[in-house]
Amino acid sequence: MNDIFHLLIGLVVGLNLLALGTGRLPVLIQAVAGQGVLLGLLPLILKYPHWDWQITLLTLATIAGKGFFIPFLLNRAMRTANISREMEPFIGYIPSLLLGATATIMAVVVTRHLPLLPEHAGSFHVPAAIALILTGFILLIGRVKAISQVCGYLILENGIYLFGLLLLHSTPMLVEFAILLDIIVSVFVIGIIVNRIQRAFDSLDTRKLTTLHE
Amino acid sequence: MYEIITPILLLSFLCAMIGSLAAITLPRVWTILTLIALMSAFGAGCFVLFTHTSWQWESSFSLSETPVFLQLDALSSFFLLLLAVVAIAGTIYARSYWPDSRYPHSSVQGRLWWNLMLTGMVLVLIASNGLYFLLGWELFAVSAFFLITLDSHNPQVRNAGWLYLAASHAGTIVLFAFFTTLAVHTGSWELGPVTHLPELKPLFWLALLGFGIKAGIFPLHIWLPSAHANAPSHVSALLSGVALKIGMYGIIRFSGWLPLPTLAGWVLAGAGCTSAVLGVAFALGQHDLKRLLAYHSVENIGIILMGLGFGIVALEHGLPYWGILALAGGLLHIWNHGLFKALLFFGAGAVLQTTKTREMSTLGGLWRCMPWTAGLFALGSLAICGLPPLNGFVSEWLIYSGLLTASTLVTPLSLGAATIAVLLSITSALALACFIKVCGVVFLGAPRSRQAENAKECDWNMRTAMLVLAGACVTIGLLPTLVWPVLMRVASTWSPSALPNIPPALISLGNAHLLLAVLGVVTVLGMLVFVRNKIHRAPTWDCGYVRPTPRMQYTAGSFAGIITAWFSSILRPVTYQLRPTTFFPVKATDISHTPETVLKYLIQPVGRVFIVLGDLATSFQHGRIQSYILYLFMALLVLVGAVTMVHLW
Repeated sequence: MNDIFHLLIGLVVGLNLLALGTGRLPVLIQAVAGQGVLLGLLPLILKYPHWDWQITLLTLATIAGKGFFIPFLLNRAMRTANISREMEPFIGYIPSLLLGATATIMAVVVTRHLPLLPEHAGSFHVPAAIALILTGFILLIGRVKAISQVCGYLILENGIYLFGLLLLHSTPMLVEFAILLDIIVSVFVIGIIVNRIQRAFDSLDTRKLTTLHE
Repeated sequence: MYEIITPILLLSFLCAMIGSLAAITLPRVWTILTLIALMSAFGAGCFVLFTHTSWQWESSFSLSETPVFLQLDALSSFFLLLLAVVAIAGTIYARSYWPDSRYPHSSVQGRLWWNLMLTGMVLVLIASNGLYFLLGWELFAVSAFFLITLDSHNPQVRNAGWLYLAASHAGTIVLFAFFTTLAVHTGSWELGPVTHLPELKPLFWLALLGFGIKAGIFPLHIWLPSAHANAPSHVSALLSGVALKIGMYGIIRFSGWLPLPTLAGWVLAGAGCTSAVLGVAFALGQHDLKRLLAYHSVENIGIILMGLGFGIVALEHGLPYWGILALAGGLLHIWNHGLFKALLFFGAGAVLQTTKTREMSTLGGLWRCMPWTAGLFALGSLAICGLPPLNGFVSEWLIYSGLLTASTLVTPLSLGAATIAVLLSITSALALACFIKVCGVVFLGAPRSRQAENAKECDWNMRTAMLVLAGACVTIGLLPTLVWPVLMRVASTWSPSALPNIPPALISLGNAHLLLAVLGVVTVLGMLVFVRNKIHRAPTWDCGYVRPTPRMQYTAGSFAGIITAWFSSILRPVTYQLRPTTFFPVKATDISHTPETVLKYLIQPVGRVFIVLGDLATSFQHGRIQSYILYLFMALLVLVGAVTMVHLW
């Protein structure tokens, strides 16, 4: 099971790099959706073979929410706002990729020095979580369009979710569901706001939203 | 015994609150209700002071699990009496000074905030609980701001108000730190003696700073001159006469309750000396009548602190007789200053109302048109200069007796006592010079402007207010033995100790004052009866000038010029001169004024540094959300780094 776990983690980190390197919004959204599906599968693997109805429900809900519903909302926002599919980054794609790679390596290095429990110390669980959070930050800081920033936020949240899985054995399912619900609601709201911004300003370029800074 | 006080104070509170409602449309009802409220507060204070009881009241109502706990002991009553008397006079005075006919909008606000400010001050005096003390303190501080800025159309008034508010809030922040630290150490908001906790000694400095800003101790007085000068005169009287004393109340109250640091007494006395000498020096440099009076408040707060500080010094020696004398003098000066300073502000207000100017150089000769105001102002001036037979002399005499007795002892302390005594006498001399200047320039001589020529006497409301205060000044001056038991009650509340009998010297002082007053009255009457008809009016000797005009009189600046020159290194007067250089007459100018030096050379430069830093910081505030997230990220990294560093150590 450990091998499958590491395979999934590896794919998730790979999708990170895809998200950083792509210049097209639909690809970014697909990457986030893919991450959502992969992360949704993780509880099943971590709990193997003690599956119960709760874990199954959580897996299904996470995959449905992160893998399909949220990307659907984002795609719809993108279509209704009728924005160009290019991303116009602050930080270019190659520098972003380099930053992302550095962040992943730093995450591995830093994890070595963290006081972890012995069962977490050997795996790539924690470094991957840190790498996701850092990638999310890079996207948030380096991208201009509101939707790509939402994707950065989602990747950041994926990292936090991955961290949360460390506590899978002790966290009540209710908390997990609540978190999932929160994210869906917030993306829902952001989708609506994106639409409104587009109508009001005729653009989703957050650089143009600076007049309210006082 | 003391149950009777509860309904009296309740009545007072209800009248004040209903009065503030009535203030909106029914000014007459407001006056009556406010007067009833103040008189019942006065009655409660008298009851506590003269029956040796103290009133305590705990309510079931509580805020954040802290029940309301009120207490009226001798010390609170002492201040409550002063508050009631000055506010009674102020309420009567305000009816004519700030009438609806002239200020249709701000007169309503004035009445409303007046009641709220009085309520706040009374709450501060009777709160026996840190939380409610702070609530009362803020109510009082904020309503004072609205009262100062009643005439808010004038930008000068607004600036004065903002300065007051900033200074007041700085003080409140310090007081929050003080009360919370106290509450943490004692485990509750209840206030009371904590002398058994020696680790609380440094808290005294916090209290001194917080209350000192309100009391106007030099150099914390920066808000005081402009606020007192620009507030309506009845508000100035209340601010100077009572609000500053609430600051003093805090200092006295907590110097009695807290364990005192070793140097506390000397620091207080030293601050008193600085305030007294520099306060009067700054006063001499002013040309604005009310600003001048405001600086005299700094001076008199200094005199109070001299007495109090020396009393605390004496406390370390077991509070011997000389310490009690100085302490009693300081306490009595609180009453006295409240009375005569309010009287002087009322007089200045009467002048301001009819001439529309506070600039002394455009006044002059008002004695002829406003005999009542001039006479009462002169009486107040005599009192504030500490001349017999008025109340100012009694309190300063008590402080002198304490200091001089102590300076005859053969201890290191005698040198300090002698120094303070010398500084006190310098202060009195300078105050005398200053009030000769004021009375001479404003009331004597010839009118310097059309307004001064056409001045009219104030009406009976304002006269009554002044007469009440003048009467109180004369009473304390002529019958000083009456207040001695009160002072001893207060002193024993402050620090439990033996109550000495009335000092024999005070009895003879009272007799001497009576004799002097009788002689004075007889002389004046005699002059009126016998000499009046023999006075001839003749032109003033004109020193050989061809055509003397009122402009050739001594001005406020030239009168005090020599003395302000002595202090010019501290006062830093600003002068502008345009001297004629040719042989024939040309236009010439000489302008001088004394700015608020501490504000201009200390606070404002520091403030400018902060403004520059703030401007630099705004370049980080540009609205780009990406950069904001970067800031967050950097801050997180720094925090993680810091935590890691701490762990590694």
